[in-house]
Amino acid sequence: MSTRKFLFILAKGLLVGLLIFGVGSLLAQKKMVQIKGSDTMVNLVQILAEEYMDRNPGALLAVLGGGSGTGISALINGTCDIANHSREWKQKEIDQAWEKGVKPRFFVVAVDGLSIVVHASNPVNKLTMAQLGAIYRGEVKNWKAVGGADRKISLYGRQSNSGTYVFMQEHVLGNRNYSTDMKEMNGNAQIIEGMLSDEGGLGYVGVGYLFDEQGQVRKGIKIVPIAKDDKSPAYLPTDKIAVNEGQYPVARSLYQATNGKPSAAAASFLKFEMSPEGQKIVEREGFFTIKPKDLVQNEKNLQ
Amino acid sequence: MSLKPRLAMPVVFALVLALFAPRLSAQQTFKTTIYFDFSSPLTTDGAKTASLFNQFNFRRAYFTHENKINDNLKFRFRYDADNTANITSVDFAKSSVKKDDKLRPFMKHLYLEYSNLLPNTVIRVGMEETITFKLAEDRWGYRSVAKTLTDGYKDITGVDIDATSADLGVSLTGSLSKYFRYGIQVVNGVGYSHAENDKYKKLLFQAQLVPLAGFSLVGYMDYEKQTDTQKALTYKIDTTFEMVRNLTVGLEWFRYRNDRNTVAATGERYDVGGWSLFGRYIVNPDKLSLFARYDHYEPNTRMSGDQINLVIAGFDWAPFSTTFRIQPNIWLYNYEDSAKKNDVFLALTVFMEF
Repeated sequence: MSTRKFLFILAKGLLVGLLIFGVGSLLAQKKMVQIKGSDTMVNLVQILAEEYMDRNPGALLAVLGGGSGTGISALINGTCDIANHSREWKQKEIDQAWEKGVKPRFFVVAVDGLSIVVHASNPVNKLTMAQLGAIYRGEVKNWKAVGGADRKISLYGRQSNSGTYVFMQEHVLGNRNYSTDMKEMNGNAQIIEGMLSDEGGLGYVGVGYLFDEQGQVRKGIKIVPIAKDDKSPAYLPTDKIAVNEGQYPVARSLYQATNGKPSAAAASFLKFEMSPEGQKIVEREGFFTIKPKDLVQNEKNLQ
Repeated sequence: MSLKPRLAMPVVFALVLALFAPRLSAQQTFKTTIYFDFSSPLTTDGAKTASLFNQFNFRRAYFTHENKINDNLKFRFRYDADNTANITSVDFAKSSVKKDDKLRPFMKHLYLEYSNLLPNTVIRVGMEETITFKLAEDRWGYRSVAKTLTDGYKDITGVDIDATSADLGVSLTGSLSKYFRYGIQVVNGVGYSHAENDKYKKLLFQAQLVPLAGFSLVGYMDYEKQTDTQKALTYKIDTTFEMVRNLTVGLEWFRYRNDRNTVAATGERYDVGGWSLFGRYIVNPDKLSLFARYDHYEPNTRMSGDQINLVIAGFDWAPFSTTFRIQPNIWLYNYEDSAKKNDVFLALTVFMEF
């Protein structure tokens, strides 16, 4: 084959490539909004997406879980439009995004009272942040040491790609390692299952996972009130005032992130989530509404 | 009794594993990754295609076990498999050997990784991937279709260079800020296919600058003495642009110098090198992407007319899930040597992960 023939084949190849590129780009314009990430947020965002699609025929949204780390990675790698995350981005992720030309914009869409749960038969009525940290680091191994029965503590937590895992590690464990005895569960629902069957169990879940279909706290589990320290009163994550006023010590914002200014389709959904209508759904699902200052910042980030 | 060095490392790993044995239930993952394809030569008179047939082929079959012992310490074990001709028996009386092409597993990775011993650092000890290709490979993104320029150099040109994707040694990688990352590695230098065969070690260095979001410039160098008076060096530059959403464009350039590579007639040293320009575009995330690449190979800087040009283009389609991807691709070889006729291959590559 001569060089000329080679170049001819090459030119044809490029032409076909450009055609595919053009048609593909047109197809891409009609694609659905892909949302990935936090397992804590997946049910809430799925319900928000369903309600949004009901009100906006033709809108297409797909919501997947996998954990905050998975969602953040997907946004960095360009495989989703919105990342759900229940923790702030790590420096390593911000650096990766910079390297790949991704400029994240963050939106607070709800507030979660991270809930510490035990088996319903557990007599413990309060834990301090220090006690909770010591238990999860494996320094305290028996309920008796924190006012409970003489029973071994059986730890349940999430896997390391979970935002909740990282949030607990940063805010409760003092950035130290979890006990190697902790059972690393795939999701919040699995932790709840563990609590129902394990009398020595201790777990953490998003507040939205505490309730059954009737909106009542699930039978068989008990929510442990948490205090900042020995001298402070303990609060429940279901206490809206305590969460809003920062008295409940393990409350956290739930975020969504986009790569730069969100597309029109993504922005429309974000606006719905932040609207009074969207926030009503947030409350209905057991989470808490965003603060006015977060709303102002969200609106700036939409521009 | 003393342990031979080649046995010492597995023994150390076994001891470390034994130490952590009661804790191994934490986060273990098992993953199999397969690159499988059907390739067909479209030309029959080219330098490569003249003797080739349509064929199904497992080009890679990885089995990886990772275990996160805690948030800082991780262990990885990876088997690979290929069907390079294996000698199965030797008949000394007849001075003959028997070979087959069965897929046989071999150890590719076996290392411990410790994160954040120093802030923002990762230390690895054992049989680990080298820092030579990693960044270019991540940006090219289609290892299932083709190795990157330096990695696949020998496959394309037939010219051997000391470049391996995994080797036995230690490495330190890290970042000082979002603008600067680095990597340092000390390895045997013979790669994962052989035990160490000389007293010299290979040193690898890498510095990455990311001055702008989406623009990365990587300088790489490795060095290994070949004899007391001869040495081998690789210089490499990788640059990547990811400043347009969904589009990645990369450029890889390298030059390999080995004092033992000399022209027979003159005794002059020759170098080998090349450059590669590649791009990929995500049309629909997790569904459809396009990719294309142009490589220029220079097997001997002292010889003219031996250069090879290669164009690879195709698309990546995930019809059901990202774990099953179909990647039709075409390879076009053009040779500067006018006596060699061009080659064109078509391949239907299937990427599977489970």
